[in-house]
Amino acid sequence: MSFVLRMALREIRSSWRRLLFFFVCIAIGVGSIVALRSVIQSVRGALARESRSLMAADLLITSNRPFTQAVNDAVAREERAGRVTGRADAVEVSTMVRPVDPAKPGARMVELRAVQAPFPFYGTLTLSQGTYSHALVENRGALVRPELLAQLNLSVGDSIQIGSEPFEIRGVIASEPGRRLGAFSLGSRVIIDYADLASTGLLAFGSRSNMQMMLRVPGPQLEELETDLRAGLANEFAGVRSYRRSEDQIGENLTRAENYLSLVGLVVLILGGIGVSSVTRVFVQQKIRSIAILKCVGATSARVLAIYMGQILLLGLAGSMLGVVMAGAVLAAVPSFVGDLTAMFQVDYGLTAPAVVQGLGVGVLVSVLFSVVPLLEVRLVKPSLLLRQDIPPAAKFDWLKWSVTGSVAAALVGIAAWQAGSLRVGLWLSAGFVATAFVLQVAGAILVRAVQPLRYSRSFALRQAVLHIARPGNQTRVILLAVGLGTFFILGVRSLQVNLLRDFSVQAGENAPDMFLIDIQSDQRDALAAFVASETGKPAPKLMPVLRARVTGVEGQQVELESYEQVRGRGGLGREFTVTYRSELEANESIISGAWWAPTPTAGEAEVSIEEGFLERLRLQVGDRMRFDVLGRVITARVTSIRRVDWQDFRSGGFMFVFRPGAFDGAPQTFISTLQAPASPEARARLQAGVAARFPNVSVIDLREILQTIQGVVRNVSTAVTVVGALVLLSGILILVGAVSMTKFRRVYEAAILKTLGASGRLIATMLVLEYGVLGAIAGTVGALGAIVLSWGVATYALDLPWDPTPSITIVGIVATSLLVAAIGVLASLDVLRNKPLSTLRAE
Amino acid sequence: MIELRGVSKVVMSGDQPLTILHPLNFTIASGDCVAIVGPSGSGKSTLLGLLAGLDAPTAGTIAIDGVDITRLSEDELARLRGEKIGFVFQSFHLVPSLTALENILVPMEIAGRRDAAARGKQLLAEVGLADRGHHYPSQLSGGEQQRVAIARALANDPPIILADEPTGNLDSQTGRVILDLLIGVHKTRRSTLILVTHDRELADMTDYRLTLRDGRAVEPAVEVAR
Repeated sequence: MSFVLRMALREIRSSWRRLLFFFVCIAIGVGSIVALRSVIQSVRGALARESRSLMAADLLITSNRPFTQAVNDAVAREERAGRVTGRADAVEVSTMVRPVDPAKPGARMVELRAVQAPFPFYGTLTLSQGTYSHALVENRGALVRPELLAQLNLSVGDSIQIGSEPFEIRGVIASEPGRRLGAFSLGSRVIIDYADLASTGLLAFGSRSNMQMMLRVPGPQLEELETDLRAGLANEFAGVRSYRRSEDQIGENLTRAENYLSLVGLVVLILGGIGVSSVTRVFVQQKIRSIAILKCVGATSARVLAIYMGQILLLGLAGSMLGVVMAGAVLAAVPSFVGDLTAMFQVDYGLTAPAVVQGLGVGVLVSVLFSVVPLLEVRLVKPSLLLRQDIPPAAKFDWLKWSVTGSVAAALVGIAAWQAGSLRVGLWLSAGFVATAFVLQVAGAILVRAVQPLRYSRSFALRQAVLHIARPGNQTRVILLAVGLGTFFILGVRSLQVNLLRDFSVQAGENAPDMFLIDIQSDQRDALAAFVASETGKPAPKLMPVLRARVTGVEGQQVELESYEQVRGRGGLGREFTVTYRSELEANESIISGAWWAPTPTAGEAEVSIEEGFLERLRLQVGDRMRFDVLGRVITARVTSIRRVDWQDFRSGGFMFVFRPGAFDGAPQTFISTLQAPASPEARARLQAGVAARFPNVSVIDLREILQTIQGVVRNVSTAVTVVGALVLLSGILILVGAVSMTKFRRVYEAAILKTLGASGRLIATMLVLEYGVLGAIAGTVGALGAIVLSWGVATYALDLPWDPTPSITIVGIVATSLLVAAIGVLASLDVLRNKPLSTLRAE
Repeated sequence: MIELRGVSKVVMSGDQPLTILHPLNFTIASGDCVAIVGPSGSGKSTLLGLLAGLDAPTAGTIAIDGVDITRLSEDELARLRGEKIGFVFQSFHLVPSLTALENILVPMEIAGRRDAAARGKQLLAEVGLADRGHHYPSQLSGGEQQRVAIARALANDPPIILADEPTGNLDSQTGRVILDLLIGVHKTRRSTLILVTHDRELADMTDYRLTLRDGRAVEPAVEVAR
């Protein structure tokens, strides 16, 4: 074994306790990177294996309306030409189901999927018992998810009412191919036979259904066929997508997610690196005498440097390996958190080799990069200090140190770019880090100065505490950076969460409607209104007509779009809109341009009022003409006003397009209604079941359930971000512990002198509590101020939410940080209180 | 052989130059035992540090076996010390994180000696600490620490041993043991021994005595009358 390695190991043996936190810092960062990358790589691996079965076909054509003749013709042509070798049609529609047995109350919204026999071309529909074959659903059979059975208290063999027909439950779906990834669903899945769909009456016009045509295509022609069909069907309101394209897209999204998530890990790791850097600096200071001795007995500077570098490498490697072990433990727990994904396809979560290699590499690199500059001090140690304490000569410009510092900075930017998978993002992250650090430093410096008047305080302990914060060689800056950043993350996310949840609870407030009835047919209006009025004991609810329309052309002063294809190119305008008509403005609307129409129905040209967003984004103006396609019927309307809609208040609903009555006379339309349902869950269930029984085509959306779901999601997301914040704060605390124990030797000596001069242990304890308490209060204040700016910025600009300050979070945050830092500071300096002065002074 | 020609040392005290050593000329032959004596602040330790290449003189040349060490770089000096010079300090200066044995091993390991382990144990035995090799410096008494330091100075069998007040931090009885050890080593190995000391009795045990006062040699190195 070489001398350098042997010495490095000997050094670790004697100082591992002091350096323990060094590798914990590294371990936490590496652990986050490895865990996050592994999860996503596992998902991606599963995806690559099963991308075709995710779509259940090679090519998928979808539309929100029945396929036009042109689409059917095009597919038939390709079948004849042999480019399509199999076709299975399917329809997805949201609807209500309820038990046929009147003794079982309740009704649920589900995502119904009607499929033809060849489905699925790829992948398997797994049932919890038995195997799937299409025969299972033929003749009014249904397959359901276990949650529906639980919700409606049903079991296999029972019957459920779907639309106007009863279906027998014949199996329970465990996993289903072709379930869209990440699609927001209003209910659980029910599968029936395509042939039975028509009889349910659910395809009555206006229902929100998604038509799907799954095609099997011989391999080599897939790409060409996709391109041809896309071009041919551009104006047919149909989407064409191959499994490869969706695989590519999901793959790209996953890559981006992986890279961004590992940046989170990198931030934690870099904070660890900052800790490493400050530990190394103090460590070298403590080792100066040993370094001088080594030089005295013949070691060159390079060799001494190599010893300490070797030590850092070993610790960095050990820390990184600990991180990998931690990541492995986290991954073992992952499946229980993301059970949902397994409903779609099987993912084996485990450490992936590339993630482990990257984690180890980044961990070791960060350890080395952050310690190399402080280690360079080793060169300047002169062996003559063993004979007498020299006054060090005035420092010359140390070109080596500065060029190494420059290289380290460049390498860190490189690592950030590598981890982000993008030089630009890497540069932004580095710049962001430098800017954040700078702001924290400046804010910290201002606050440190702001507490300086306390040095004239009457309390001796407080005076000493304030002096210590600003004394030379203090660790104030690094503690402020680390603790401040952790506080910033946690408080920022918490206050954002409070604002988000508050916004949702405002929306679901006392007098707001909390239930929607949709797909009401014209002839059901009176009966439904009467039924709801009798159930709720309130006046009959208002019914609003809704139609589904697409913009197919614009003849404007500034915009000219001739075909649907051109419209589709304009962000936002190409989607399908739900439109209405009425003669009055609603309470949540106001006109900002043009004039609202007279309450009489229109006679000549149709008139439309547009939402102000179109003015801003697409420069649509009063006087422009727009062409709409309403389920095949083309209507040209003149824009006569622009409305501002208060989207927060949706009692009256919000529509992008409102038409003057008369435009749709005789056009197919349905109605929706918003109402305030009874508060008790039983009464709500009764109301839903009653509506489902009497009006099978009407869907009930319970806003309370959805809000609960959304609130759950918000809570989960903010918990996840809080975990990241907690990791950052943990690194901060580790840095704090490190900083305290590293400078302890100085403290012990000072305390010994003060004790000799008559200070009691209690006074010294008070000094410590005050010093770290003030430091914690400064870090907490810096973090809390940043958090206010962060939550305000995100709420105002990214989420478009009204923002209110959350003073309780700010105050609790500052006080808690202060107490935490004080407690940790004192606990880490127990030796200072315990040591007897004489032994300390003699040892010096 | 060690030859000093016009060796002086000036340091800056504040912005005033302060002369610690005035130009000195003398020669020490191989195998001699020399005491450098004089009151506190007379420049004794500085001179010893210059001889070990721990510090550089302001002017003059120091030649060890014909090599002018004032022209060597820090790293070349380190190698020279590892090879030719053993140094014993007043306050021992053992590496606190290493055991007694490991402290002795360090110079041999730096030099890459293959027999380091065996020789380390032998040296420990020679200084009477055979059973204490695994103790850390903090677990040893002052006298024991100094014995470890002497063993370390002898590790590479250097022709020159420099000792800076080796008994200064020890009680007189322990100091006596250390002295006997040093003199014994000088005699058995025929190595050059240069001691800085306040101790009259110790100075009288050497072959020559160089007396410094205010950075000047009071008289050329004189042979000790015995």
